[in-house]
Amino acid sequence: MRAPIGRIALYVAVVSALASAPAFAQERNAYFGQTHQHTSWSLDAYLMGNTTTGPAQAYEYSMGETIKHPAGYNVKIKTPLDFQGVTDHSEYVGVMRLANDPSSAISKLPIAEKLRVTKDNPMVKVFQWMAGSLADGKPIESLLSPEIIESVWQNNTKIADKYNKPGKFTTFCSYEWTSMPQNQNMHRNVFFKSCNDLPKAPFSAIDSDHPEDLWNWMDSQRKNGTELLAISHNANLSNGLMFPLELDSKGKPIDAAWAQDRMRNEPLTEMKQVKGTSETTPALSPNDEFAGFELMNYLIGLDNSFSKPNGSYIRQAFQNGLAMQDTHGYNPYKMGVVGAGDSHNTATAYSQSDYFGDHGDIDPTPEVRLSGKVVSGMTVIETGTSGLGGVWAEENTRESIFDAMQRREVFATSGVRLKIRMFGGFGYDKDMMSKSDWVKNAYAGGVPMGGDLTGAKGKAPTFVVWALKDPVDGNLDRIQIIKGWTRDGQIFEKIYDVAWSGDRKLDPVTGKLPAIGNTVDISKATYTNDIGSVELKAMWTDPDFDASQNAFYYARALQIPTPRWSTFDALKLGVLPPGNVPATIQERAWGTPIWYTPTEAEAAKAKSGLMVADLVKNKATALDDAELKELVFGKNLRVRNNVTGLTSNVLFGMDGKRIATELDSELSQGGSSNSVSSTSAAYEIKDGHIVTTIEGTPFELTVYRSGDKYVAARNDEFGHANYELVKAAN
Amino acid sequence: MPANNGAHPRAQSEIEASKGRSTLAGKPGGRMRRLLGEPLVHFFAVGALVFGAYWLLEPDAAPDTRKIEISANDVRQIIVAWLAQGRSPLTRDQLQSLIDQKVSEEVLFREGLALGLDRNDEIIRRRVAQKMDFLAADVAALQEPEKAELETWYSANTDRFAVPPHMSFRQLYFSPDLHGENTQDAAKAALDAIAGKAADSAEVAAVGDSSSLRNYYRKATPELMLKEFGPDFATELFKLQPDGWRGPIQSGYGWHLIWIDSVEPGRVPSFAEVETEVKSAWRDARYLEIKRDALEEMRGQYTVVVPPLDTIDMSNLLGTEQTPTVSPEMIPQ
Repeated sequence: MRAPIGRIALYVAVVSALASAPAFAQERNAYFGQTHQHTSWSLDAYLMGNTTTGPAQAYEYSMGETIKHPAGYNVKIKTPLDFQGVTDHSEYVGVMRLANDPSSAISKLPIAEKLRVTKDNPMVKVFQWMAGSLADGKPIESLLSPEIIESVWQNNTKIADKYNKPGKFTTFCSYEWTSMPQNQNMHRNVFFKSCNDLPKAPFSAIDSDHPEDLWNWMDSQRKNGTELLAISHNANLSNGLMFPLELDSKGKPIDAAWAQDRMRNEPLTEMKQVKGTSETTPALSPNDEFAGFELMNYLIGLDNSFSKPNGSYIRQAFQNGLAMQDTHGYNPYKMGVVGAGDSHNTATAYSQSDYFGDHGDIDPTPEVRLSGKVVSGMTVIETGTSGLGGVWAEENTRESIFDAMQRREVFATSGVRLKIRMFGGFGYDKDMMSKSDWVKNAYAGGVPMGGDLTGAKGKAPTFVVWALKDPVDGNLDRIQIIKGWTRDGQIFEKIYDVAWSGDRKLDPVTGKLPAIGNTVDISKATYTNDIGSVELKAMWTDPDFDASQNAFYYARALQIPTPRWSTFDALKLGVLPPGNVPATIQERAWGTPIWYTPTEAEAAKAKSGLMVADLVKNKATALDDAELKELVFGKNLRVRNNVTGLTSNVLFGMDGKRIATELDSELSQGGSSNSVSSTSAAYEIKDGHIVTTIEGTPFELTVYRSGDKYVAARNDEFGHANYELVKAAN
Repeated sequence: MPANNGAHPRAQSEIEASKGRSTLAGKPGGRMRRLLGEPLVHFFAVGALVFGAYWLLEPDAAPDTRKIEISANDVRQIIVAWLAQGRSPLTRDQLQSLIDQKVSEEVLFREGLALGLDRNDEIIRRRVAQKMDFLAADVAALQEPEKAELETWYSANTDRFAVPPHMSFRQLYFSPDLHGENTQDAAKAALDAIAGKAADSAEVAAVGDSSSLRNYYRKATPELMLKEFGPDFATELFKLQPDGWRGPIQSGYGWHLIWIDSVEPGRVPSFAEVETEVKSAWRDARYLEIKRDALEEMRGQYTVVVPPLDTIDMSNLLGTEQTPTVSPEMIPQ
């Protein structure tokens, strides 16, 4: 039987979504908020010179009051937020607040030797030492007194309650779980629905740095009636750990229970924050011309480090989730997306024109920001403004916003108050959007972002997309729908332009929309809204729909180009904008996907490719090391991908290097038949596999002799044997 | 943006303590009431309460550095601190272990001081400064204001509690997506056409561009309008008069004609309506006040010497050719 558990889970999700649909869903508003904020209460923030402002000032800032930047100057938000949860690190929380408790403050003096900041032991080193103790799993016991942790947590709650003004400004009780094994970022922010009945202390990465243990603890909270959820972030800096395919963080095979634990506990992830975008990267999405947006790539705390792209980006996780759904019957990666900050300044900069850095005394002035400074692996010029989290909720209250997060009716922006919305259904009326009550009909006839579609019954799904500009920022360029799908354990994506400003036409050859143009005067850091639209909307039906394939669809709206913060900084200093980052930026919003899952009957119609299990059943034998050497060593092989029809020449050199050259790509999306691309990587033959890497991520190829043919399976294609190997003339 | 050269101002100043004595000692027989009004007195009184600072009470007694004495009062304080965290009563063993812990702490603390570990330590300096800050908060929290005092304070700070105006209005939208540069003119022309027409008349219903913006806002505040339409719209909207079509006014989306159904002007609530909030705000304000006054008074007892800033070469922050004239320490004369 195929995928029973996934189907049941899906069924339950649909039924519960229907049951809980409120009467006035069509009156949901977009609220913008911050789900990731540090203050002086966070150890690292304190060490960066943020020593005086706490959660209270964070809320005051977000409500529109002027507060002090750690460097001493005043900062004020342009447009106040609708909601916020302060998320100080739970690890060593309050260490810097020991002064609160005179006896314990003094008691920590012996450790102060290591905490002492001198010329030879700068702040950064202290941070590396303390963060390192977390990364290595060797916490500094003397800094973990329960008295400190509990009293700080209670204070945090008191402050959140004080600033919570239902209907005007919502605060959350929240904190950050800071798991960082070997500097690989696994952080999650934990949000509580209410501030009543909270646990005595947060579950920190010192309790355990395994997300599975965090989920267990969250489950036990839920059992006691305390509702909570986690938001993962900086997948981009996780070195592939954030979205694993085969093994969990403890080395156990991922299964349906793991997928359910993950989805129950962490329905959301951060698409964009000050340390980069986690949507995708050009390496994973070569056909996405907008993929190179505010990217960062390093391991937090390590100089000259690199985070592997595979397993580190959300779009790929969405895709792999589909493949897991298709092959195993569960999808651990049906996540909603929010934008957030992670500023360590108590205050957060959202606007390019008003940027004031994110990390205390590391980046407080235009001079240091443009100086080319790299701190513990972080290239300051690549960091940026905070993203924003958008929720579609009935009202601005804890309950309503939390419910929206839980049902994933959320979106992310790069920091602007750009609103985006998408619905999907099979029976929408063609001119529905010309009527003023289209939202009501969109809810009635389909599902909003974060929802599930199934039961196509011969129809392709139609999506309703809509975006409205930020009233104090750039106009809109376009809305795109990004589709991901899976076939035979392989993953695919395609980007459709569906609504755009002006009278541009899609290129008949490439199918691409020409660029919007550019009004930015780089030398003055100005732009005009003479191009672009205020509002964009469209109905779009998938022209390539295959009812037998799992798929997701999400919307992305782009603004016209505006000056990046570094261009404003350059203007302030009277210098040219730095050449190593773009001078302009296309701010954007990302919607949470809508997922399509075929019914059993529809899925059965797909002609499944060859499985490893089939090969074994048909007495094919796996080649051993000697046979593999004989087959490939020093040889030129033609490798055909039976799913895409793409053929590559792979030369397995005697020097342990393999060079793959794509021969033709007439069947690939949008490619021309002459395009040729080459990649080179090391390989070795080990334990019956050819082991090589793609973009730094290792994978194994197992080769089977089946009759007179050689068939190969990749270990990351979920049991499918998708490749045919033929010896080519040298 | 305010100028900032990225350097800590602290690092550039030299602060020399004058021969000032502590305020407590320096106010011979001042009137009790006046004395209690002194922020510094509050500081040290609370400091003594909280820290049990014997140096304050016996400033001349040189402590025996090789003797650690835990008094019966100290033990009681340990027990109280334990119970204050809502725990069940201490067993004798637990108490003994807490006392041992305290003794060990004291030993390590003194040894650390002897080694000079507290010197030149940015973290410790900040912590001590922060501690003084917490004292100010404690002083503010200790004070229970008289109602009359609260009322007086409220009348001087009513703007912080003002209820904003609320406006219910209709809006007709004119989109630059459709009219481009002529959007304002289109709105003006529409205004001429519907002037004098009722808000819900059929002629009006046909005017304006369709959009997802709501065409009716009930009890909107300036803050909500700023978030929804931008700051200029929020300002202009609340200048408009009811009874008739007004505008056009501009938002971040385009131009709008406005029909105001009702306005509740902003008002100052009575003290009784907001007493709880006033009390909490009074405490916050008092905290800042105590902090500021105490700092001012303490600073008044120091002679502060800072090198003239124009003698500092901002492009040579290493100061290689100079011997450091800057010390972060407070040096008693």
